[in-house]
Amino acid sequence: MAPRKWQTSEEVFRLFRSIGRASLLYDIQDSHSGNMAMRWRNEAGEEMVVITATGSQKGDLEPNHLCYLSTAETDFGYYKASSETDIHVRILSIPGVQASMHAHCKEVVMATLDDRPAPKTPPPFIPVDPLAFYQLGPEIPVDWFAVPSGSPEMAKTIPARLTEHTLTIIYGHGAMTRGRTLKEAFHNLCLANNAGYIVRLLERQTALKEVSRLEKPEVRVRIFEHQNEFVEKLRGEIKSAPERHFHFRPAPYNVDVDGCCDFPEEEEILKEFRKAGNRIFESRLSPFHTGSMSVRGVDYLLYAPQASMPYEVGGALLKLPLAPQPGDDRELELHKKIYAGSDFQTIMHCYVPEAEAHAHYVYPGENQPLSRIIPVDAEGSFMYLAIPVVGPEVSDDELIRLLHDYKMVVVRGGGVWAVGSQSLSEVLHHPSSLREICLYRIAAIERGLDLRSMEPEKARRW
Amino acid sequence: MSVAGYHGRVLEVDLGTGEIRVVPLQAEDVLLYLGGRGLGTKLLYDRMDPKADPLGPDNVIVIATSPLIGSQAPTAARGHMVYKSPLTGYIGTSNSGGAWAYGFKATGYDALVIRGRASHPVFIDISPEKVEICDARHLWGKNTHETTDILTADSIPGNPYRALVIGPAGENLVRYAAVANEKNRVYGRCGPGAVFGSKNLKAIRVRGKERITIADEARYRAGLDQALYLMKQAPITKRLLRELGTSGLILLINLINMLPHRNFQDVEHDEEKLERVSGEYIAHNYLEKAGSCYLCPIGCQRHTAVKGNGGAVRKGEGPEYETAVMTGPVCDIYDMDAIIRANYLANELGLDTISFGGTVACAMELFERGYLTPEQTGDLELRFGRSDLLEKLVELTAYRQGIGALLAEGAYRLAQSCGHPEIAMHVKKLEMPGYDPRASYAQALGYMTSPTGACHLRGGYAVSLAFFGGTREIPRFSLLQSPIAIRNMQNTGILQDSLGICRFTGFAFSIDPWARIVSGVTGQDFSTARLEEIANRIAALERLFNLEAGLNPEEEDLLPARFAEVPIMAEGKPRAITLENQLQMRRDYYRARGWNDDGRLGDEFLRHMKIDRRKA
Repeated sequence: MAPRKWQTSEEVFRLFRSIGRASLLYDIQDSHSGNMAMRWRNEAGEEMVVITATGSQKGDLEPNHLCYLSTAETDFGYYKASSETDIHVRILSIPGVQASMHAHCKEVVMATLDDRPAPKTPPPFIPVDPLAFYQLGPEIPVDWFAVPSGSPEMAKTIPARLTEHTLTIIYGHGAMTRGRTLKEAFHNLCLANNAGYIVRLLERQTALKEVSRLEKPEVRVRIFEHQNEFVEKLRGEIKSAPERHFHFRPAPYNVDVDGCCDFPEEEEILKEFRKAGNRIFESRLSPFHTGSMSVRGVDYLLYAPQASMPYEVGGALLKLPLAPQPGDDRELELHKKIYAGSDFQTIMHCYVPEAEAHAHYVYPGENQPLSRIIPVDAEGSFMYLAIPVVGPEVSDDELIRLLHDYKMVVVRGGGVWAVGSQSLSEVLHHPSSLREICLYRIAAIERGLDLRSMEPEKARRW
Repeated sequence: MSVAGYHGRVLEVDLGTGEIRVVPLQAEDVLLYLGGRGLGTKLLYDRMDPKADPLGPDNVIVIATSPLIGSQAPTAARGHMVYKSPLTGYIGTSNSGGAWAYGFKATGYDALVIRGRASHPVFIDISPEKVEICDARHLWGKNTHETTDILTADSIPGNPYRALVIGPAGENLVRYAAVANEKNRVYGRCGPGAVFGSKNLKAIRVRGKERITIADEARYRAGLDQALYLMKQAPITKRLLRELGTSGLILLINLINMLPHRNFQDVEHDEEKLERVSGEYIAHNYLEKAGSCYLCPIGCQRHTAVKGNGGAVRKGEGPEYETAVMTGPVCDIYDMDAIIRANYLANELGLDTISFGGTVACAMELFERGYLTPEQTGDLELRFGRSDLLEKLVELTAYRQGIGALLAEGAYRLAQSCGHPEIAMHVKKLEMPGYDPRASYAQALGYMTSPTGACHLRGGYAVSLAFFGGTREIPRFSLLQSPIAIRNMQNTGILQDSLGICRFTGFAFSIDPWARIVSGVTGQDFSTARLEEIANRIAALERLFNLEAGLNPEEEDLLPARFAEVPIMAEGKPRAITLENQLQMRRDYYRARGWNDDGRLGDEFLRHMKIDRRKA
């Protein structure tokens, strides 16, 4: 065994710091919450666990906030390590797991709150969006713990959950996940938070109604009318036939392309990709390392398959042939088909949560989800007039036709596709505007306003 | 045909035989080529042999309007003229604001085709009631302002005459002579004035009140509202162009190291001197008021006043960006008084100021290098910075007197005659405008591949993407992104020219609102996808015309050697566009267009584009 010393690794530190900052930007931590851990082999070839220190600010990690633990025995590395170290170490012992992460994913925590008496046995969380459904699973476990932080009970339950599931939710607290890399673990937490947000938006889209509690008639509360009915019905339908509700199955997280850049010499384009990717992430137009964007060359395309990528973390940047290839996933295939059927130079695909949720909205008195999002805000209505919403069964040809006419299309259960004739910045503007457009519309619904009467008459012609 | 927005009639005039006839406008032509530049190119290609002598009677001039002219769409009053250029030997396409095109469409015709050569100077007089070829001997020799005044003197209030005229430069076949309307709005590039002159055509006068129908008023209005909103929102269309004119771009272009100096030898300027040719300087010292073309909410025209050489105040229009740069810093001149006076005179005598400035700068470099001798210049010390010579050179050129006879041939022929063609900054013999291509690869490729030669408007106004494109900004030095970016920019320009609208609307928005407007006006499905197809078709037909006229892509779709060999500093690095880079971008551009790798067009491609080759 090599002599004991406080280990440091600039590379590991940079990774932890960048993921830490990103988690704060994505608002899945409070100032000091959460923790990250990963397996690491030191210069002497010893297997170690690197974990954040207890009470460290994840948004501003310093080198001494990383603790390097022996995997073979308790050593002085535990001196200031996270209070949940035992849980992480057990998770990291699951075969194939290299990283683990815990965060206060508030949206999914809020979406799973209930007022049943403790001790609770909460039902699993069922996502209604394709990313979480396929990548985290159709049922994400939720566990209630009497001591929901660093307890032996958690150290027993959570690693067990993560042998079966990618991510697990700690009731009223947050989520814990595993990954082949720390980036994948962070990706999972972002998906969970995003899934919770979408469910909550769906709930908010129904009108508020004041009712008496069934079990306590004397208590008056305000609830979302048909909340359970709508969301639960949707969940049931999705679970029974996901392929009918989602445009396509997103490709699994790919750790093999981590840090890959095929066109380092194209400094200016790289900068554009990074700017756009950072904005997608920071503005939450798509969860971390989801979505895609591309710039078309003549015989090839520059492709970012992990479009949502904060500056410090980055994502894969590939140069690929424009012609279809046998190994192309569905997302890449669509980029290529859109280019083949148009003169566009840029494409972006994002899973804008507000649009994902709003695409399910049913106007009062109607029985089908909306087919167009008509902006009710001043800028949105002049910029777009109307944005088509299509079902997941939309054909590629129809999608391309709509992109020609509208530059942006929302696919229910499939994210937002946008195109540009020149730049990534141009194409980025579309999902970014759409997010605002949807927020205003959802706010109008929440406030009980008559959305139909707010929509510009002229927009109905488009 | 009966497509709303069109009258369905083409007026054909043969100046040689005196025959005047009206032929129906084919519905297929407008559905495939839209109007303006596209329709004009189609009518031209169907009617002339691209090999014809551009200054001979077989050259054909087509002036075509768009379905939007006659509507209230912002800026939709621009006419487009297509012909074979006497400067380049390839397709000439010129565009102008003003109100003449609106006046022409109000005569009840969509396009005018002129062929043949009159035996003596004539003008064509067009109204809904009659079309006449009239004697213009009394107008020959008069400048554009005088001619306009005479021809429009009998205007009726509410239904004025509008005249399209040439000046002495056109009469004297200066290869870059312009055609003017409303005195100072010109069809400038490629030398249409010389083609008019070669046909003894002094002017075309129009008057009429024919209206178009609009098929879907609500759809048209929705697009119109959107377009107007966006134009009022974008800083350049909302404010900069009105307050500072196009010259307001000078300091901005200098900031990105794209402002040429001394015949494109460098982009280094004395900042204090440069201030004195800026839009800000013009606004403070010369501007009397801003003006607008018909239906334009932007108002970039500069109505200015300057002291003449004799001290008397003269009033006129200008300078625009190109004039200020090409007769200014490109000639190492920073004397705004001299630039404005030369501009006024060039407008009056009918010269394209871009080609004039580029030719003078070329002459100055030739002279300083000793390639152009005092004997050839008539003892004029034709050195950079000689602002005192500008006005005189305009006059000598327009009348082909002294050194003017050489200057009238354009930069390429001038430099060639001196044995040093490399000093001419041109592509396809068209002088380069005031944007250095080394500071934007997309602009460089635009110059290389423009159907008319080095033109920022037909080649794609990439500078707008490089600096003030808003969300559409693209990297300036990307070999990879430039080919498709410039193709798309060229296509946007083709559509703007074919819709009869101003380039500057592109600072506010791309083509989408126009798709709604033109679909509303015509009742046809001119979706953006369809407009995309139309633009590609028009680009292909222009290319086909050029190839049949003898274009050698290998040698002529290239920049002058200076841009490959002499770097400028931009964004902290030396920037040149090596021949290898040019060839790479050019090949990618050809492929992006669907052309062969040698820049020629395959039969299968033409079939796909629904283009028939001319029959021999």
